[in-house]
Amino acid sequence: MLDVQTQRQIELFLFEEARLLDEGDFEGWLKLYEPHGIYWMPSRPGQTDPLNVASIVYEDHGILSIRVQRLLEERALVLTPMPRTTHMVSNIVAQTAGEAEFRVDAAFVCVVHQAEKQKIYSGRHSYELIRAGEAFRIKLKRVSLMNCDGVHTPMAIPL
Amino acid sequence: MTDHTAPELPTADDIRSLVRPDHVHRRAYADPAVFQLEQERIFSRLWIYVAHESQLKKTGDFVRTRLAGHEVLVTRGEDGKINVLKNRCPHRGARLCMADEGTSRLFSCPYHAWVFRPDGSLSSVPHRKSYPESFDLTDPRNHMQRIEKIETYRGFVFATLNENPESLVKHLGQMTEVIDNLVDRAPDGEIEMADSSFTLEYRGNWKLHMENAADIFHPSFVHSSSVMPARRAPANASILDQDQTREMLMANGFGYDEWEGIQLNGLAGGHTYMKNFYNRGVLSHQQEDPVIVRYRAALVAKLGEEKAAQVLGMNRFNNIIYPNMIINAQYQQMRIATPLAIDRTLVRIVCFRLKGAPDEMFHRSVRFLTTLGSPASMIFSDDVEMLERCQQGLAKDEGPWVDFSRGLDSDQRDQDGAVSGAASEMPMRVQFQAWVNYLTAEAA
Repeated sequence: MLDVQTQRQIELFLFEEARLLDEGDFEGWLKLYEPHGIYWMPSRPGQTDPLNVASIVYEDHGILSIRVQRLLEERALVLTPMPRTTHMVSNIVAQTAGEAEFRVDAAFVCVVHQAEKQKIYSGRHSYELIRAGEAFRIKLKRVSLMNCDGVHTPMAIPL
Repeated sequence: MTDHTAPELPTADDIRSLVRPDHVHRRAYADPAVFQLEQERIFSRLWIYVAHESQLKKTGDFVRTRLAGHEVLVTRGEDGKINVLKNRCPHRGARLCMADEGTSRLFSCPYHAWVFRPDGSLSSVPHRKSYPESFDLTDPRNHMQRIEKIETYRGFVFATLNENPESLVKHLGQMTEVIDNLVDRAPDGEIEMADSSFTLEYRGNWKLHMENAADIFHPSFVHSSSVMPARRAPANASILDQDQTREMLMANGFGYDEWEGIQLNGLAGGHTYMKNFYNRGVLSHQQEDPVIVRYRAALVAKLGEEKAAQVLGMNRFNNIIYPNMIINAQYQQMRIATPLAIDRTLVRIVCFRLKGAPDEMFHRSVRFLTTLGSPASMIFSDDVEMLERCQQGLAKDEGPWVDFSRGLDSDQRDQDGAVSGAASEMPMRVQFQAWVNYLTAEAA
């Protein structure tokens, strides 16, 4: 069982991540990732293989940085008008996973509002975090979208 | 759709009046009566892709899909034959199967437990004695409705509601070459559909997607928000994909020289394709990276040097088989656009494994699928936005004509059909010529 203080620090780290996304500070959001950190959104429930099974997103820092730069491009059609989001993170449970490393599970809901449309995404996040001084860095964020294998419309803002 | 709400179908003259050599009337995209006629004359009469044989390996394997407004099950029967069945219990009309795919030796209706074999015949009903004496298990009226016309070309299964269709090979015409090319790229001579795919729905007419896939003029504009950051990003910053994603994003921002090198082709029947795309990076097959070297060796061992070079040399992008199928053989990709309504379309995007090729080749196909076809794609999401904006504009009667005149003066013909440079809207004109022909044809 993780001590209450570390659990709290991790919760605040996740809330900070949500705040950065909601405020459109995508460069700040990317800084939360390790240099080789990975953002993974599988396309199948329980998917374990990112190579032989297509993912909605399977990107490391190198590709994510292009994605983030695109979010800052004025010409991205899917971002006009810029969507507004509320990223909610809850049911956060953190465990130690080795020296200064943690596994974190959480539930999420994200409401995306754009022009006449409002969409709701939900599912579970699981993180592999590394302690970096007072803060943490993301080695892996897995977004298990509840309707990952369903019928989709375009997604622009990271969940 | 019930009869009392069915719109009056447009006449042949009406349809002809919608398409001029260089313009198309907005009703082609926005009139529900046109959609109804398309369902009857295009999606019910032409050969429509329904499944790939690799999904139907053994008895009871099935896929649930759509055919001209019907939900159908494509199944492998006890006799080894492929069946296409309407997914509806003949007893009370309930949908029978709710799974997208799977294996089932019997399909049982959950309501009153009529049980069907994979060929749609009725196997049993409970409490047989309460049905009248005239009730006959072998009566086809008590069976799942069959679609009789099914043909397969090299593993691709097509079906049609047309009782008297031309042969599939005739319909495909020269587009058989691209299916051949996709299959021939497998060193073991067989391909297998990946068990992951994406399905997207957009609020727009199906033709908008098929036009967009034949339109090489838009990427520089529509995709600049991903081209620019990809160009600025350092090479090989990703450890996941050998720069494949970055190269794919940059490929939409061609310079004039590369762009001029792309040739568009239009064939009778409405099929189109473009030549020479993705000539750089890990996707190009030009470079000597270890995966390509191993793959090429496996293919040469099977086909010989000359044939292998020929197979790998075919560089065609977005091969569009009319009405709704798009194949990219060299990246093992396929898309099917299914119209749901005049202003709603479902796009299913899949990829294939080349049997006998190195695993990494398949990983690249999977990466290709994600980069271009995922709902979070940095490319397709901008396309979809544009298709929806077109539909929003076309829904209103403000200037009824859509312009397709670009290239009209410079298009050429060769022995196979129309040929043009990248800037031309020739492919859309070819698609609409076929559209008029199909919609105005008398009963087949």
